[in-house]
Amino acid sequence: MTASKTAIERVATPMLKIQNLTKRFDTPQGSRLALDHLNLNLNPGEVYGLLGPNGAGKSTTINMICNLLQPDEGSVEIAGLPVSDATKPLVGVTPQENLVYPSLTCAENLNFFARIYGLSKQERLRRVDRCLGLVNLGDRATSPAETLSGGMRRRLSMAISLIHQPKLVILDEPTTGLDIEARYEIWELIRLLQSEGVTVLLTTHLLEEAERLCQRIGIIRQGQLLAEGSQAELRRWVKAEQIAVVETSQENHKAAAIARAQSFGYGIRHYGSDLAFWLPKTLDLRAFLDQFNGIDLVGAALHPVRLEHIYLEITRLDAGA
Amino acid sequence: MRYWQETWAVAQRILTELVRRRRSLMFWCIFPVTVLYLNGLILAERANITTAKAFETAAPSTLVGAALFFSCLGGSVATVVAEREQHTLKRLFMSPLSGLSYFLGIFVAHGFIALGQTLIVAAIAIFSGSTFQGVLPGALIIFLSVMAYVGVGFILGTQFARRTEDVNALVAAFGVPLLILGGAFLPTQLFPQKLLDIAQFNPVFHMNEALLGIVAEGKTIEEIGGHFFFLAIFALGVTLLGWLSYRRMLQVERRL
Repeated sequence: MTASKTAIERVATPMLKIQNLTKRFDTPQGSRLALDHLNLNLNPGEVYGLLGPNGAGKSTTINMICNLLQPDEGSVEIAGLPVSDATKPLVGVTPQENLVYPSLTCAENLNFFARIYGLSKQERLRRVDRCLGLVNLGDRATSPAETLSGGMRRRLSMAISLIHQPKLVILDEPTTGLDIEARYEIWELIRLLQSEGVTVLLTTHLLEEAERLCQRIGIIRQGQLLAEGSQAELRRWVKAEQIAVVETSQENHKAAAIARAQSFGYGIRHYGSDLAFWLPKTLDLRAFLDQFNGIDLVGAALHPVRLEHIYLEITRLDAGA
Repeated sequence: MRYWQETWAVAQRILTELVRRRRSLMFWCIFPVTVLYLNGLILAERANITTAKAFETAAPSTLVGAALFFSCLGGSVATVVAEREQHTLKRLFMSPLSGLSYFLGIFVAHGFIALGQTLIVAAIAIFSGSTFQGVLPGALIIFLSVMAYVGVGFILGTQFARRTEDVNALVAAFGVPLLILGGAFLPTQLFPQKLLDIAQFNPVFHMNEALLGIVAEGKTIEEIGGHFFFLAIFALGVTLLGWLSYRRMLQVERRL
């Protein structure tokens, strides 16, 4: 009875549990609230995307998970343990920059951190080989890090964060500044981590990345979690089946297009300089253009509802509120 | 055991990086050799003594007064600043590496460099006919000197030098006057009394006098007591301050 209860508790224990996390920073302009009672749970083995604009509080959250900053209020638990220096081995972090020693070889970089994490010599040899293989750098083991391309360095930086087999891996904008090939390689690696049961907290500005990789997504702004859920769950924020983005030749045509869209009951949105309509049911382009007969549309495109539309809607509503 | 593994990992990493770059290592070999030859030859000529005696007198000040200053103090500052510039400090903060191991790792790495420089200086002097005494107390003074330099380097690197350019400026602004006043380039016997009075507050002066007394003049620790105790207290003090500086840097730079 006790054993089965323990097993149930173990399954139910989130890998990362953040409760009411609050942090203020003193600035010359006064106190700034970086995190405002943030709550977040990551289940074991899931890839969770934390999205938000710059200054939303993502890095502050990561700093607290790594025990680099102390919260003013609230708590962080990793695998049921309150964050402390003792939980550092449970976490692997790939920061935004490629934090590697340039004159050391790939294997030496990994070996150094393996020693810092207290791995035995045999274990180090095994893990260095394994991690180099994981990030496709097996043939560059003896190359100094400074001779690697940007994508390779990022992969080496990721390998360093995996060297001690952490239970929770934090990837802070892992593909920023990388070309598309390097991005695909990183995405493949994240999928591989997930297949091995590693929990991943991914922060990114690339919504496509979150769309492809994350089981659940949280949207954070000004230190508050605005929305959270799977993509299907977040989809309810956008009450449309399709998004039409149109371009008109003149302002008066734009006004006419908006009036026509309103007459069909379409939602009107401005995504930057783009004019967009929310369509309650899917249409083909011909049928859509027929609805705007007599209005000079220079361009029109129909898109399925994507994470970017959801993200923009949630942050728009928050800004409006 | 854990601290030792971490310390040795940090030391080995610093030494591997130095070997890879080669240039710094070469400079740190060339520098004491040229200073020893210049000091020794000038001393032999002006003091009208044998080359062997001149090198015997010049070797201690060349080593602790000049060579170790640049390699251990300058090297420690450069190590910390390089970590900060390439952001690897962040990665270390996120790891379980203790501050003590990090400090000891830098100390051990520069201890090895100091050992190399000591062997070079001693080999040249002995090759010129010099003889040295008091190897063990001499080694203790070199050990304390390395500790003092690394401690000061840690303080400067963590608190004052933000970029690589700052290292040169700091070493030039504070280091060179301290070295001259410490007797690294000119024997302190030539100093006017006022400068000698000021030199009493200069740790480099006490390092020089202590090592010179032990290895060249055959004195005992008791006979150089004042210099030795000043050096020992200074080394312990800056090590403690270095540790506090590291703690402060942790508070300031912990954010990603």
